[in-house]
Amino acid sequence: MDELFPNELKARLEQIREADIVVGIPSYNNARTIGHVVRAVSVGLAKYFPANRSVIVNSDGGSKDKTQDVVMQAESGADDLLLVSHPVHGSYRISTPYHGVPGKGSAFRTIFAVAHHLKAKACVVVDSDLRSITPGWIELLARPVLEHGYDYIAPYYHRHKYDGTITNGIIYPMTRTLYGKSVRQPIGGEFGFSGSLAGRYLEKDVWDTDVARFGIDIWMTVTAIAEGFRVGQAYLGAKLHDAKDPGADLTSMFRQVVGSFFRLMESYEGIWKSVNSFEQVPMFGFPFEVGVEPLTVNTDRMIQAAQQGVADLREIYSSFLSPQTLVDLTTYVHRNGQGFHIPDRLWVRMIYEAAIAFRYRTLDRDHLLQSLVPLYLGRTASFVLEVTESNASQVEERIEQLGQVFESEKSYLAQRWDAARKENLHAQPV
Amino acid sequence: MRSLFDRMLIDPFNRLADQSAHVVPILIMVLVTLIIGGFLAFVARWLTYRLLQAARFDRLVQRTGFSSMIERTGVFRSPSDLGARFVQALVWLFVILFALTAADTPATAGLVLRFVEYIPNMIAAGLVLLLGAVVSRMIARSALLAAVNAQWPAARLIAGGVRILVMTLAVVIALEQLHIGSLPLLVAFAIVFAGIVFALAIAFGLGARDMARQWLEAKVRHSVAEEEVFRHL
Repeated sequence: MDELFPNELKARLEQIREADIVVGIPSYNNARTIGHVVRAVSVGLAKYFPANRSVIVNSDGGSKDKTQDVVMQAESGADDLLLVSHPVHGSYRISTPYHGVPGKGSAFRTIFAVAHHLKAKACVVVDSDLRSITPGWIELLARPVLEHGYDYIAPYYHRHKYDGTITNGIIYPMTRTLYGKSVRQPIGGEFGFSGSLAGRYLEKDVWDTDVARFGIDIWMTVTAIAEGFRVGQAYLGAKLHDAKDPGADLTSMFRQVVGSFFRLMESYEGIWKSVNSFEQVPMFGFPFEVGVEPLTVNTDRMIQAAQQGVADLREIYSSFLSPQTLVDLTTYVHRNGQGFHIPDRLWVRMIYEAAIAFRYRTLDRDHLLQSLVPLYLGRTASFVLEVTESNASQVEERIEQLGQVFESEKSYLAQRWDAARKENLHAQPV
Repeated sequence: MRSLFDRMLIDPFNRLADQSAHVVPILIMVLVTLIIGGFLAFVARWLTYRLLQAARFDRLVQRTGFSSMIERTGVFRSPSDLGARFVQALVWLFVILFALTAADTPATAGLVLRFVEYIPNMIAAGLVLLLGAVVSRMIARSALLAAVNAQWPAARLIAGGVRILVMTLAVVIALEQLHIGSLPLLVAFAIVFAGIVFALAIAFGLGARDMARQWLEAKVRHSVAEEEVFRHL
């Protein structure tokens, strides 16, 4: 793993030698916000883990806005606090460029390698554009790992009802259905995990795939669940982050996240086929009501995108959607205004049929994922129109209902998956 | 002294008989070769069709998206039919070459030699066309998806244009391989293509200047606004 480290980092790690906690912050041009994140992390480590050796690692993707300087110069913030216990060791701070494919996953890989090298007992990763992070987040993400024997802690936030639509519409209900653990924010971005799990991540040969980009979050979560690591979640309040997310255009983000999820279905086929129910994951922290930032969504534009997609991409859809699904899609998608609606069952079947097509390469995988974007926008518009008047708990119930449809249709997925495998075997050239 | 009758009638007849004795067996052999070859070609087509059907070749091709293209030609019933007829044509080609060789005349020998020397060019041209068809399809599909996801109204037109462009280039390269004058085609294509681009630029620049400005402004404002208010992950 040492080949991932520049010489300067190697020398620094030799000085530090060992650490109990490593906190990783991936960044790319986040000078505006990363200072706050570093201060919150420093205070969190000083306040909650004064007796532990800790290291803050900023893994940077070549920022041009002096992000790395901001990280190194940010005040620790701990001097202004009245601490019951003063830090015995203090926390080290490292800012290093990462190697490999530019993306969040590659930045995480360097953080995993640092944690592994320093034999860290717990590792925490947090986004560099967070505005709502508090020192308490570090405790909530690290303590279950350090003191309660957990291997993976996912975040749990309150979010606006229109926020996190890939999570709510695909990733959360599908993770729950396929892998049997109800992790509400599987691609939340902030995680705590054990040193042994970091080591396991490093063993995987995925760093040239979309896991090196936005696929990292779902890959970490599913790997932890599917490989039997002990999983929990921590209540962090609200997640507010910087409005601008560099390089985060919808098509590539969607492709990377959903593509990684579909690829994991291939890797863990035996696991998800054997799961018949799901269980709640233990929650750390004290849930409380928080206000969230208002969001506005242009549903007309999304509906237009879906309608154009169904009109222009019909040939592509007919290559992987079943005839009945295609007929239903065409029927529903051409209703305008408030009448526009994509029912849960249709949505779930489209996603399942796409997963099967991805597995058996019915068409080019990249094209398949890109073709799902208009459908996703249509489904998002449908969801937004449906919950316009709903409050947070009603929206949560609605998402639970969708999860139940994913579960009830799982037999459809398994049956078609096996049928596609048989067809695929027979279709091999003689 | 031979009579005039012998010289005028018997001698030419004998010469004709001699020449016929040399040519007729060759013609019979060519005819028999063609009949047997035709039968073999038919058997090869039938066998190939059965084999491709058994191997579910149609389903395999369906995945590449070429099926509809093949069926749309109205000549072939299915990809298996196309494959079987291709094999039949190949067998016919070899039968004809064999028959020409059997004729054993300077003209046919030269023809066969030239044809055999030309085969590599034909294969190269065929491969270029096949590759062009595959690549043009892939690129056109990528363009279509990108245009649809960017919500451009003329997405299919753009994809079609891309496909024609790539395929035209493949045809020009294939013609080059076959030593058939491709330069006029290339020049004609370049003139037409440049003309279209120039016409569009003028039309857009003069006729829709305000619309272009408004569209760009709306695009920039819209994308920034959307990034600011909506997160998907």
